[in-house]
Amino acid sequence: MPKFAIHNKEDNVGVAIEDIRAGEEAQGIYIEDKSNGPVVKAVEDIPLGHKIALRDIKAGKEVIKYGRVIGVAVKDIKAGEHVHTHNLKSLRWGNLSKR
Amino acid sequence: MNSVAGKYPTIKAYVRPDGSVGVRNHVVIIPIDDLSNTAALGVAKLIRGTVAIPHPYGRLQFGKDLDLLFHVLSGTGANPNVYGAIVIGIEDNWANKVADGIAKTGKPVYVFGIEGRGDLKTIEEAARKAKELVQDAGEQQRTEVDLTNIMFSIKCGESDTTSGLASNPALGYTVDKLVDLGNTVMFGETSELTGAEDIVAGRIKDPELRSKFMRIYNEYIKVIEEGGVDLLGSQPTEGNIKGGLSTIEEKALGNIQKLGTRPITCVADYLDPVPRNGGLCFVNTSSAAAEAVTLFAAKGSVLHFFTTGQGNVVGHPIIPVIKISANPKTIKAMSEHIDVDVSDLLELKVSLQEAGDRIFNYALRVMNGRLTAAEALQHDEFSPIKLYVSA
Repeated sequence: MPKFAIHNKEDNVGVAIEDIRAGEEAQGIYIEDKSNGPVVKAVEDIPLGHKIALRDIKAGKEVIKYGRVIGVAVKDIKAGEHVHTHNLKSLRWGNLSKR
Repeated sequence: MNSVAGKYPTIKAYVRPDGSVGVRNHVVIIPIDDLSNTAALGVAKLIRGTVAIPHPYGRLQFGKDLDLLFHVLSGTGANPNVYGAIVIGIEDNWANKVADGIAKTGKPVYVFGIEGRGDLKTIEEAARKAKELVQDAGEQQRTEVDLTNIMFSIKCGESDTTSGLASNPALGYTVDKLVDLGNTVMFGETSELTGAEDIVAGRIKDPELRSKFMRIYNEYIKVIEEGGVDLLGSQPTEGNIKGGLSTIEEKALGNIQKLGTRPITCVADYLDPVPRNGGLCFVNTSSAAAEAVTLFAAKGSVLHFFTTGQGNVVGHPIIPVIKISANPKTIKAMSEHIDVDVSDLLELKVSLQEAGDRIFNYALRVMNGRLTAAEALQHDEFSPIKLYVSA
């Protein structure tokens, strides 16, 4: 049974469609054709609806979902890690102080 | 309304004097200003079957902000879900302005001013008229009409990643169907398009409309940024973040899944009217649920589709709001608020078409008279948008 869904084949994150436990070998599924995606070992708990890194994402690199940039990694993210506000920041908002 | 047999699904609805089609038959009591809320509520308390729409605005507003309030008040009275209206203001003058906008549709509307008369006399006189209106409204019959030239609206709220994965794409399927049948479907949430505004713009084929959309979007963002702030901390909201949405870009890309796939054929700023056969139509709104639904209803939407992830409970006094969710935890914990469960689409157990048809078929039932959860629970949020300070 798939545990996370991937919107677009270019994405480097998937979305948990069930709660995923740390250590679990989670199966991914591509939404567009329902084919199997990668199997990723969760390094921490990923709650339903939250994102899991499909591969290592270096700090400063773009996070891709829907085939589009949804922000930038602010620290190194390992495959299987939870991707959220602690390691992913918007490129649109939150940067006004730096302008 | 006649057409090639079988081309359109039919519904049983109310045809108003101006030919517009409503799915409810309300008598609405409209206060023009905060001071008139007490009298409006007094009338609604006395007369069965009336609905008052109190709000905190209307005194010493000016310019575009005042125009927008009048637009919302008269638009709400003119909405095809309304049989007739009572308008109450502290002064007659402004109340008459709003009533004139309602009277244009050919439906009955009566105006009462409180100044020089007091609340109690106003309530009595207005209640006598309201009584006549509800008795007459009761004789209005639903008739069979084609599902075309009817106005709808869509918005999501307390979204999470299940919205972008399942409930929004399923609603998008329904939206395509409604648009193909020759109806209007309005969407808005201007600031929440940030990160996907180029995709929305790309779906507007008419170059003039496209630049109008970009002007509206850029002005909205400019207003936000002029305060030296941005929306980090407000957008995504706490509820969005709890549900797994991390950035505004991610939220916007999930948001636009509900727009379906058809071209955007109409772009309306705050005061612009929206046509009955407008297709997919962008309306400049805030992203606050009640404010957006209130503006859509004022522009003529008779039914609103609302997708939610973490569980938004919004409703409206005169238009049914259908709640759609794909989040199994929310559906379980907040079951009394959810009308359509599409969690099996999240689990990929059904096709997008099956989930979309489920929403469409439920909407037909609601149009025919089934109360939505928000209606049964008396979620009657009426929230006009205020643009700036009063004088």
